[in-house]
Amino acid sequence: MKKIFAVALGVLTAIGGFVDIGDLVTNAVVGARFGMSLVWVVLVGVVGICLFAQMSGRVAAVSGRATFEIIRERLGPRIGGANLVASFFVTVLTLTAEIGGIALALELASSVERRLWIPFAGLAVWLVLWRVKFSVLENVTGLLGLTLVVFAVALFQLGPDWGELVDQAVRPTVPQGEGVPTYWYYAVALFGAAMTPYEVFFFSSGAREEKWTAKDVSQSRLNVLVGFPLGGLLSVAIAGCAAVVFLPREVDVTSLSQITLPVAMAGGKLLLALAILGIVAATFGAALETALSTGYTLAQFLGWSWGKYRRPAEATRFHTAMLVAVVVGTLVLLTNVDPIAVTEYSVVFSAIALPLTYLPILVVANDREYMGEHVNGRTTNALGLVYLVIIVVASLAAIPLMIATGAGG
Amino acid sequence: MLLSDLLDAPVRDSDGRALGYVVDVRLVLDGPLDGVLAAPRLHGLLVSPRTGTSFLGYERTDENSPALLARWLRHRHRGTFLVLWSDVVRPDHAPGPRDDEQAVTLRGGYHRWDPALPRP
Amino acid sequence: MSPRLRRHERPFPPDAQLPHPPRPAGLVLDARLHLLDRQLDDVDGTPVMTIDDLELETDADGVTTVVHLLSGPVLATRIFGGRPPRDRWHRVAWRHVADVGTVVRLGIRGDGLDVLWVERWLRDHVIGRIPGGRHAPE
Repeated sequence: MKKIFAVALGVLTAIGGFVDIGDLVTNAVVGARFGMSLVWVVLVGVVGICLFAQMSGRVAAVSGRATFEIIRERLGPRIGGANLVASFFVTVLTLTAEIGGIALALELASSVERRLWIPFAGLAVWLVLWRVKFSVLENVTGLLGLTLVVFAVALFQLGPDWGELVDQAVRPTVPQGEGVPTYWYYAVALFGAAMTPYEVFFFSSGAREEKWTAKDVSQSRLNVLVGFPLGGLLSVAIAGCAAVVFLPREVDVTSLSQITLPVAMAGGKLLLALAILGIVAATFGAALETALSTGYTLAQFLGWSWGKYRRPAEATRFHTAMLVAVVVGTLVLLTNVDPIAVTEYSVVFSAIALPLTYLPILVVANDREYMGEHVNGRTTNALGLVYLVIIVVASLAAIPLMIATGAGG
Repeated sequence: MLLSDLLDAPVRDSDGRALGYVVDVRLVLDGPLDGVLAAPRLHGLLVSPRTGTSFLGYERTDENSPALLARWLRHRHRGTFLVLWSDVVRPDHAPGPRDDEQAVTLRGGYHRWDPALPRP
Repeated sequence: MSPRLRRHERPFPPDAQLPHPPRPAGLVLDARLHLLDRQLDDVDGTPVMTIDDLELETDADGVTTVVHLLSGPVLATRIFGGRPPRDRWHRVAWRHVADVGTVVRLGIRGDGLDVLWVERWLRDHVIGRIPGGRHAPE
């Protein structure tokens, strides 16, 4: 019984933890402009993150090495350092977006200006990082994030023309009035949102936080292989809601209240309240994950003591790094930048930073010195190589597409 | 001497002909006992025609997967060889910075050996 | 592009089968592959540093051995070139190393090592002073 509970908890946490502000915003924006015609990218992204999260978790469980230690060890200080700078920048940007997302959601819930919520959100994130145990913070935010399922409920209640939606999804075309480069720009953004590098930093470091060993590999695989695809379905439901409500009216999504509007239309105040709760939990959870990831990446690259399972006084540089990251994110938001815009940039920059993270994971997952008998199988390797190619293409295409389309304009 | 003084240094033979670059330094734990372990003795240099990507080590191990990646990296480092430290003309022990032109020079009649790591 | 010899400059046919060297008596490690950039933990498994460089010395008999593992400013010079002054190398003596695997493990506690001075300074002046900093999370 206890075991079933543990399995269920892991899976539910993975579902709730999958969606963050990046998925939320990008899917809603894309749904409003392109209908379901980019759903295939979410599918590709979910398979990719399953593949590499599972691989990084297995490496961490079996060898005890978290992802950024491996990046440093395999790529050396120069290329590894370039990856550190890029990943750190993207992670702080994502952290900024998540804190902004918390503030926006609280603004929706309270009608109190978001700028008043920002310092409060930043402080709350730091306090949880400082005092709350890893497993508690992971499970609570994951479970509360599950309330995002109201987007799926809303989609059903909106009573869309399912044939039309499925048709958009399986026979993707670029809608009238949108350019082909814009379509591909958002494809890269969705891919980046699904595969953000912080997810593997967090996942592999989490395996160390929870002291996984080779025995826990099958549990971790189940969490990922069931939880992430279901989380991906939530993303699709968010895109679906936007597609049903906004696409026919040719309205662009530029604010969080618009993202939740379909839910309010479908289910009234109660459903809206649940949606907002889900968004607060999802962005709060992701803010914790990204803040932890800033500490993990730096500490693992430089060989510092790290981990929530240690007292802060035993991992002082790790805690200082996280504190600085949260303060920087909060200060950036106080300059009145639009968190939604920060999010849109963060997912595209994620796509650029991906290749140098996923290559060393793939190499070490094949190294018997680290993995013993738990090395990758042939199918995993074949898929891994295919994804490496996709990741490199997305990464190279991101900047030119960004320039060509004026960042999706 | 720092290890990084040797890494990536160009390698020449006694006639000044370029042979490649030091991509790694082979150590053997058979030096004098120093604490719990024997001190790692500088055994030789691994010399490859190119400096990039050898850190993944495929040209020295029998790891074969992922197959395409392994084959490509091994191909890039064809021609990698091991020279023993005794075949190296010692760079002057001066600890100052190595200027980039300062190469590692091999003795006349040096031997090239297979770079593979011995299996444990 | 990292330096390389062009194809026509290469002195040897690339596919020549080379003889195997005489097998040495001790454990064989390739410095960059097995030591450099690996995590160094102390005897309790607490991370100490990443091995940023190695210091080698030649004794009277002409045998060159690794004497210190280095960290600190040598990382910056490995990335950007140049060389920090010797008094700014943070050294951990090889004689403290107990095991070399996917991590390198010391046989001693890391607490007193020079290389951890920033960690200690932050503990005494910042993190240890914030309430709750010395307690385990709940």
